[in-house]
Amino acid sequence: MLTTDARQIRITEIVCDRLELEPEELAETDRFVEEHGADSLALIGVLAALEKEFKVTIDQSEMPRMAHLAGVREVLSETKGW
Amino acid sequence: MKITAWSALSPYGHTAADFTQGVRDRRPTAALVPEEEAQLGCLVPDFDPRVVLGKKGTRDMNRVTALAVTAVGSVLDDGTQTAAGTGPDTALVLGTTTGSVQSMTDFTRSSLTGDRPYDVEPGVIPNSVMNCAAAQCAIRHRLQGPNTTLAGGRAAALLGLLYARRLLRAGRARTVLCGAAEEYSHARTWLEARSRDDAPTLLGEGAAVLRLTPAELPTAAPPLARVLAVHTRHAPPGSDPADTIRDTVSAALGQARITASDVWSATGSGLDTAEDDALDALFPRQTRDRLPTLGPLVGDTGAAASALQLATVLAAGGQAPGGHAVITSTDGQGLVAAAVLRMERPH
Amino acid sequence: MPPNPEAPRPTPVPARGFRSAPAQGPRRVVITGLGPLSSIGTGTDAFTTGLRQGRSGVTPITAFDTTGFAHANACQVQDFDPAPLLHRLTPAHYGRAAQFSAAAARMAVADAGLTDADLASVRVQISVGTTDGESYDLDLITEAHLHGGLPAVTPQAARRVPAPLLGLAVARELGLADTEILTIGTACSAGNYSLGNGLDAIRHGDAEIALCGGADAFCRKTFAAFYRLGTIAPDCCRPFDTDRQGILTGEGAGMLLLESLDSALARGARIYAEILGYGLNCDAYHPVAPQEDSVARCLQLALDDAGLKPAEVDLISAHGTGTKANDVTESRAIRQVYGAAPPRTISLKSMLGHTMGAASALGAIACSLAITHGFIPPTINHRTTDPECAVDCVPNHAVPADLRIVQNNGLAFGGNNAAVVLGRYEGRREGGVL
Repeated sequence: MLTTDARQIRITEIVCDRLELEPEELAETDRFVEEHGADSLALIGVLAALEKEFKVTIDQSEMPRMAHLAGVREVLSETKGW
Repeated sequence: MKITAWSALSPYGHTAADFTQGVRDRRPTAALVPEEEAQLGCLVPDFDPRVVLGKKGTRDMNRVTALAVTAVGSVLDDGTQTAAGTGPDTALVLGTTTGSVQSMTDFTRSSLTGDRPYDVEPGVIPNSVMNCAAAQCAIRHRLQGPNTTLAGGRAAALLGLLYARRLLRAGRARTVLCGAAEEYSHARTWLEARSRDDAPTLLGEGAAVLRLTPAELPTAAPPLARVLAVHTRHAPPGSDPADTIRDTVSAALGQARITASDVWSATGSGLDTAEDDALDALFPRQTRDRLPTLGPLVGDTGAAASALQLATVLAAGGQAPGGHAVITSTDGQGLVAAAVLRMERPH
Repeated sequence: MPPNPEAPRPTPVPARGFRSAPAQGPRRVVITGLGPLSSIGTGTDAFTTGLRQGRSGVTPITAFDTTGFAHANACQVQDFDPAPLLHRLTPAHYGRAAQFSAAAARMAVADAGLTDADLASVRVQISVGTTDGESYDLDLITEAHLHGGLPAVTPQAARRVPAPLLGLAVARELGLADTEILTIGTACSAGNYSLGNGLDAIRHGDAEIALCGGADAFCRKTFAAFYRLGTIAPDCCRPFDTDRQGILTGEGAGMLLLESLDSALARGARIYAEILGYGLNCDAYHPVAPQEDSVARCLQLALDDAGLKPAEVDLISAHGTGTKANDVTESRAIRQVYGAAPPRTISLKSMLGHTMGAASALGAIACSLAITHGFIPPTINHRTTDPECAVDCVPNHAVPADLRIVQNNGLAFGGNNAAVVLGRYEGRREGGVL
């Protein structure tokens, strides 16, 4: 298992990959949709990729909270098995 | 119905000029396929969707979609028409065989091999549906008219002409972008090989798109060619496909009100001996040889085949203004189509 | 920018092509044969009964191993046996979807009281719409390839894959030569795309008979995709309901036989309905998020083509997938066109599931039967209508109704919208609808 820091870096990488952004282009509380034009498929793509990478299950009802990186980290930290 | 612009991505290159040069030279394009073992294919050279279309919105785009989006973009950028070429009055009719069998099989495989059967990539879901390429063309080029995907195999672009004519005649669009796209892929290679009992087959890829407007609608630039007739028939199992090809061509000539002796060029797909034989029986050698038959040069380009055949005529328009060109297509399954074009002026 | 529905509409191009239309001008087109093949009934009688009774086609999935999915219901055509339905085709040579399309076309021809010889004497237009083509077969091939490599993929299995076979199978089953065969892959509105094509083909004299509709076979690929998107309902499909949780994927086929009114009258055919018009457009916005204004424009295009005002429409058969997003967007688009009190708006997907390319074709068949028999099929599984998509969806039980004009909607992946308008044939009117 990755260290906590490494996992946080990996989260950033996964989100940036799905949103077609470079890590330096995405601040912690930038809103994916409003500020970076992400669409619903990209958002589900983020969720799916995180599930696969970290072998967790994220309820889709959490998606509204996953509107920015900080929200993603928060939701992930609450999942079973994190 | 008249043709006012065209584009072609082919094994000869990314542009209509590349294509024109390639068919003029009748240059064969078979080459070893990168990352495949001793496999020959005819690929669009150096075609990387993320390079050609940029990184935004292309992360999950499959090859056939990128080919189609690029070909539609080229026909719109032709320079002979203003921005009025898009919007609700412009339809897209795009031919395919089965969409992307690579995207479809990859998707299913990920469901079968993932830890969970739904560990699939959401971003590629649209790729696994046949209308993905047409829809992306509409999104990227703001084509808000009818958006039709025709699964017509090799004859797709000729069937597309029939369908486009119907849209224009009924006033459902003022401009139709009509063409087809097919990608080379590993999955397509093995599926084709198995379906042909592993007989060696040279596969190619490409995309070509024509801009069509009604004959009576004035356009800024004179047309490159007119579509005088399109016809299609079916050879049911047990019938002689050569008869069907002859009947189809005769019907098309009749619609165009010309005879075989009026035809400057007559070409088939070059992928079907019955088709070659039928055309040889109908037209003299000189007529048959005026333009290259693409099959041996660029392989079986699937749905792109008849679109590239149409492009071959347009590329040669300057050689015989006022001349008539006959194009035929057969899909090996009994579907036969033919079109008669009259060339108007050099491109 | 969404398109502005107030914007001036394009001036129709005069109805002239390079092949002249019949001298009498555009012809009226009627539906005289129906071929439904569905999870709630196959054949006109069984399908009608299913619609009247509000039958549910839902069962646990048997088409593939569903291990790992938390819930796995769908609307499959159970115990489909192609042999008795097909006269010419060898079923093993065709994928499941092509078997469906050919069987449904065969039923439509029989229902119209026509023989193969009748069809062979005229030009026939065939259009089969589909979302997935032979993806069911391709899934099986993928699985075989995964476990056994290339030798595990038989040539016959590989030959069943090409999507154009959905149309070709119809021509071969009916033994047709003088025919135009289109397989239209415009996803979930492809059935309506096909009907529109058939309408134009007969209207303007390209064909005397049109066999149009759609077919799709239920497959893992599509189920897994919608499941991943979170749009598969755990139990059943509840369109327009506050508690709706999504679609159930389904399968089936619907083929309709169209001919000119003159032809139908001359041979004394039973006329189910007249096709009055259709509209097609594309959102050109997003692969999976429908746009209200663009959908509204499509519905309006169909009404304009039919020469009708919204107030003349008695019933809408909605796309009505039962997802949160679709039902809100579609009902808002309906209000945009029809005003605050739209006609009753039902979703057949509550019964049939989402049959993909067959959906709007089965919808058109249901509308034809509703017009003919004077009833409205219900939206089943309904408990509480969502105020966000407030329509009278005729909950749970069919009702008798005198239907003159019905609109049938199809929306698709890629923002491909298509709407068809059907009307009761009420005898020859002066001037006609066109």
